[in-house]
Amino acid sequence: MMLRSRRPLLFLALLGVAGCGRATHAAETVTVTGSSTIAPLMLEIGRRFEQQHPGTRVDVQTGGSGRGLADARSGLADIGMVSRALGPEETDLMGHTIALDGVAILVHADNPLTSIDRQSVIDIFTGKLATWGSLGGDDSPITVVSKAEGRSTLEVFLDHFELESADIAASVVVGDNEQGVKTVAGNPDAIAYVSIGAAEYSIASGTPVRLLALDGIEASSASLAAGRFPLSRPLNLVVGGAEEGEPAKSVARSLIAFASSPAVHDLVQAQGLVPLSN
Amino acid sequence: MSARDEFDARLARGGRSDRLFAALTWGAAASVALGFAWILVDLCIGGMPRLSAGFFLESPRDAGRAGGILSILVSTGLLLAVALAIAVPLGLASAIFLAESLRSGAALERVVRQSLDVLAAVPSIVFGLFGYAFFSGLLGLGSSILAGGLTLACMVLPIFVRACEQGLRAVPEELLQGAAALGLSRTATLRHVSLPNAAPAIVVGIVLGVGRALAETAALVFTAGYVDRMPRSLFDSGRALSVHVYDLSMNVAGGEASAYASALVLLAVLLVINATASLLTRRLLAQGRA
Repeated sequence: MMLRSRRPLLFLALLGVAGCGRATHAAETVTVTGSSTIAPLMLEIGRRFEQQHPGTRVDVQTGGSGRGLADARSGLADIGMVSRALGPEETDLMGHTIALDGVAILVHADNPLTSIDRQSVIDIFTGKLATWGSLGGDDSPITVVSKAEGRSTLEVFLDHFELESADIAASVVVGDNEQGVKTVAGNPDAIAYVSIGAAEYSIASGTPVRLLALDGIEASSASLAAGRFPLSRPLNLVVGGAEEGEPAKSVARSLIAFASSPAVHDLVQAQGLVPLSN
Repeated sequence: MSARDEFDARLARGGRSDRLFAALTWGAAASVALGFAWILVDLCIGGMPRLSAGFFLESPRDAGRAGGILSILVSTGLLLAVALAIAVPLGLASAIFLAESLRSGAALERVVRQSLDVLAAVPSIVFGLFGYAFFSGLLGLGSSILAGGLTLACMVLPIFVRACEQGLRAVPEELLQGAAALGLSRTATLRHVSLPNAAPAIVVGIVLGVGRALAETAALVFTAGYVDRMPRSLFDSGRALSVHVYDLSMNVAGGEASAYASALVLLAVLLVINATASLLTRRLLAQGRA
């Protein structure tokens, strides 16, 4: 926004073009930039917000959480999107969690396991544990299903188990959650990590897979929303100027309030994410 | 072993190695065609169920899972138009300069040539960051189709200039000598002899440029942006088709079907542009002969 209005004249002079200014853009625009995980959700929240507030426009741009932080600080964006918890050096920004991105360990429904501990997960995914034998299953080899580079589920998984992506000894690399679920459903010896929202949706529609409890904590969107399940990350909207109080734009404030309200829970779930409990 | 036997044996060995070589080249060529066929079949299987007339007439809904790609197609078209409107005149003029500068090795020519070589080798994300800093930031264009189109123009320029220059240099010397003998000025020679003869090469340059522009994702995320509504002017942010495919396949849960369908459309657009160009080239060549 600020970026837009800074030096348009210089540009117009450069091209020798005149008369195509943006006087028609009388609508109030909120610019939201950052995490590509939050962007599709924010796009839909913005669309619904625009319908309820005629004359407002919500422009969503991606580029990663880093850009969200930088743009919110510099004021290039009214709101930044950051798909992790804010660190201690980020107290100048105010974060508002709008949803949770939870990841759970998934096995086939025929697998006798119902729970798994942290160390076993690490051993299986780094290839140290090659068969189900020592975990109480038969001696069949474990098929390790991992995510392709760049997937947010992979980042959450690596971050929680303190692994590097080069450590993972994957037998199968899948793209999205749906593909992960399908791979496990078709292979009784497979183990994967997928978004909790997507897995619960598949289980509800009869896919033969099971979510494993992690260190005794049930993997479900309920336990995630209650803050018990650890393998997750918050999806935040951040605004700059925490020291001076709320951001200048009231429309940005009402967009954040709207994004945190139950009015968008269906949109959050449609993205395979988990809304915060009220 | 008689000399005759030895000759026959060598001939047979040679025949074997010839056959082997033929089989290898044939296999390599077939695997290229097979690769393309595989992509095409995969895209058709994944994308056809999602394609309908509505897919082209609606804008995306539900983060792209529902609705169509109308606004995306419009944004992509505008991006291409901006990129070509800048790159074609600028590139053609540069190519004429390079081809016509007779004293090879002149300082400006060296600088221009080296600049183009460097530009051609620059990874697209660097163009993206340049566009973000220069067009979006310094010139105040923000995330807009204009900023994206200008960034694309920078990327297309080196390819386009090279194609045009080669075309201009390939104009037969006799024609230029003939023009000189008739006392035509350099401008008239260019207009009536060089450019018409180089036309097929220029068309090829445009096609290569359009191909690169349509395939571009990284540079556009930072410049043209992510907004998927119908753009109202060149100052609005607009999402290109390739960015749409990338976002649906990487960030949208359940976006796979729409991603396939959009990728299929992207491929179809490229094929249509290629076909049109080769038709145009053939016609231009026929005209040149006539």
